Amino acid sequence: MMRILKSREFLVLVLLVVMILSVATVNKAVLYPITLINILNSSLFLMLLAIGQMFVVLTRGIDVSVGATAGLSAVIFGFALNAGLPLPLAMLAALVTGLLGGMVNGLGVAFVGIPPIIMTLGTLGAYRGLMRVLTGGSWIESIPQNIKSFAVTRYLSVPLMVWTMVAVVIVVALLLWKLKPARYFYAVGDNYDGAYLLGINVKMTRFWAFSLAGAFAGAAAVVFVGQIGFVPMQTGNGQELKAIAAVVLGGVSLMGGTGSIWSAVIGALFLTAVDSMMIFLKVPGSWNNAVAGFVLLAVVVFDFLIRRTVRNRRLAARAAEMRRSELDHDGAGAPALVQTPEATS
Amino acid sequence: MPDDMTQNAPVVALRGIWKVFESVTVLRGIDFDIHAGEVHALLGGNGSGKSTIVKIISGAYRPTAGTIEVSGMAQSFSRPSEAHAQGIYMVPQEPQIFPNLSVRENLLMGLVGDPVENAERARGIADEIGLAADFNAPGGELSIANQQLIEIVRGLLRKARVLILDEPTSSLTRREVTSLAAQMRSLTARGIGILFISHRLNEVIDLSDRVSVLRDGHFVLEDATANLTTEKLVEAMLPADFSAPVEQETAAATALGTKPVLAVRGLSSRVFREASFEVYPGEVVGISGVVGAGRTELAEAIFGIDTDARGEVVIDGKTAPVRSPQICQEMGLSYVPEDRHAHGIFLDLPSAHTISSSLMALGRSRFMAAAKEMELAETFVERLRIKLASPMQYARTLSGGNQQKIVLAKILAPAPRVVILDEPTRGIDAHARQDVYRIIRTLTADGVGVVVISSEVGEIAEVSDRIMVMKRGNLVELPAGVRSVEQISAATFDTNGEVTA
Repeated sequence: MMRILKSREFLVLVLLVVMILSVATVNKAVLYPITLINILNSSLFLMLLAIGQMFVVLTRGIDVSVGATAGLSAVIFGFALNAGLPLPLAMLAALVTGLLGGMVNGLGVAFVGIPPIIMTLGTLGAYRGLMRVLTGGSWIESIPQNIKSFAVTRYLSVPLMVWTMVAVVIVVALLLWKLKPARYFYAVGDNYDGAYLLGINVKMTRFWAFSLAGAFAGAAAVVFVGQIGFVPMQTGNGQELKAIAAVVLGGVSLMGGTGSIWSAVIGALFLTAVDSMMIFLKVPGSWNNAVAGFVLLAVVVFDFLIRRTVRNRRLAARAAEMRRSELDHDGAGAPALVQTPEATS
Repeated sequence: MPDDMTQNAPVVALRGIWKVFESVTVLRGIDFDIHAGEVHALLGGNGSGKSTIVKIISGAYRPTAGTIEVSGMAQSFSRPSEAHAQGIYMVPQEPQIFPNLSVRENLLMGLVGDPVENAERARGIADEIGLAADFNAPGGELSIANQQLIEIVRGLLRKARVLILDEPTSSLTRREVTSLAAQMRSLTARGIGILFISHRLNEVIDLSDRVSVLRDGHFVLEDATANLTTEKLVEAMLPADFSAPVEQETAAATALGTKPVLAVRGLSSRVFREASFEVYPGEVVGISGVVGAGRTELAEAIFGIDTDARGEVVIDGKTAPVRSPQICQEMGLSYVPEDRHAHGIFLDLPSAHTISSSLMALGRSRFMAAAKEMELAETFVERLRIKLASPMQYARTLSGGNQQKIVLAKILAPAPRVVILDEPTRGIDAHARQDVYRIIRTLTADGVGVVVISSEVGEIAEVSDRIMVMKRGNLVELPAGVRSVEQISAATFDTNGEVTA
């Protein structure tokens, strides 16, 4: 219990609640259920990208191509629908496009050995370019409008897509918690050599992290097209950095090995909520990115300072222990190695 | 115990193993084995081939020739997990911990089988060998001793029959060493064979049943520990061609009245304590010490890389309130780090740029004419006899010895008053080594003070005017007459022997 309260996810959740409540003192409309549901609904795209990104960052990688992958998947989704494919098949096509896009990154990083930032910068350009080539640079607008039906369906006045998201998050959380190979993402990011020495297939683990990031980007594309009903060329543009910011804000360390799906979920919610709060405070929309950036910096710096203090204290305690050991020894003569120590029994 | 051991087949046996890297032969047809229930100590100096043997047994390297037998059957492994499957587990010098995962996950990671059952087995083994740790706490909070026990439990969970302990005591307190000794005994009592590697000869004598000493790729001594003493071990580890100590005159510069170019007073850090010494113009102070004793940490503290160290450092008569590498260089102190690739040289730039780089950092001028840079480089190429086609040749394409000379040229370019050389001849051939020693002598002739840090006792004996030993974080100076390789070794390798003139 204490561990949850001390976690970064919890800290950001508290900040989120505090932010919403303080805005509510100015404008009560923030607390209307419809407002909160709308925030949830508009966070879905970023949340899916962030969950995918989480797998990569857990393994100490970074994927700047997820926005472009989502864009490419959206184009394929639009083409599939226009070709008359039934909705489930078109969704599958988008997911597979994302998965393949991620697999290319995974192959390059894990098996060829290209640094993640270089590999994904390359595919960022390639996928964006491919989008233009496929569409000739124009938006896909003639999409059958029945696809918006799944975006507007609501149960208990909450959109179906939000319910689906809840289910996805629960499933991923359970898998990450219980499934042994899912824990490999943590192990590989926390100590790559150590994971290798223990017989974990480190290359395969990194490959799947990037592949999953791509598949989640494909899912994000489906949500996006469903919500707006057409495919603009800018789909996913700049969202890769927002996804990275979301997971880092939520506590996934860029050094790998820490964080959880809640980091991605809460981080994405927070960044989306900041945008909405600006509207309720009647702050011009041009401030959104600056405010989100400052919040991210504040949380990360605060967290880093605390962790450094804790670490230094531990190292100092160890040094003192070594010193005492030497002093005791100087007084006591040669060490009695062969004596059975009283401590172990 | 040695008697009934001879009747059993060894658990692991290396037969006629050769290992050749590029053109360097590291192992020359060695035989080595580990029996059930014994502690077999493997000794050898730097570059003797010790770590290559360990890597071959643990599956990190494949031998060039020869066979590995496990319980009498020929086997070959090319990755650690395949060695694990054969019951061989290596506990590395630095325990491989997942700092952000729980102790439980640290123990079970990578293990096949039912997690609940494995967790129960882990609990049982942890209790047996005395790993007292909260299974839910993060691995990063464990003490070094407990991190080592995590590795041992990992090995036992994989049903290891042979454990390789690589320098397990180097960062433990004495109390922790004592309990590790008891744990090793309980492991051998269960029939587990232990390959024990340590620089501390008294621990080798106390803890092992059998000792093998490796030198230049082959075994020069193998015997039951009962027949051995630390003196015999030191003797076996020394280079064969090592003649009587070179009689050298102590540099005249230490005469009364000369001011030291470097004075360290009461310098302490997390790794070493209360280090004090002085370096006079024109003399070489050698600091001997095994890996992990705190030698490199001392140099980094003097040079202002470790900013947490406390104590006084006087460079050329002046004390800086705060030290940083830049301030030290401006005051006249230069440092050549141990790992030249990581810290000393720009491999993918023209050699001339590395040589001139030390002047860039100093506040003399913000710009440097290309012609002046070439002139500087050419001067040093000639002075240090660096072999290269042109100063514009990329350092990566040079031999190790010539790379090291480039690094020396770099630190000599600003004309320092005192230099610290950390392992100046590591990984370079005999010829280049002599060149480095010659460069050191030219420096002292010019009145520069030199500190040479080395784990090779022969090197310390050869170049030093005065000798100091860093052992377990304590720096002591050897008496003036103590300068034979045997005496320095005895003081360096923690034999607890008395050192007198």
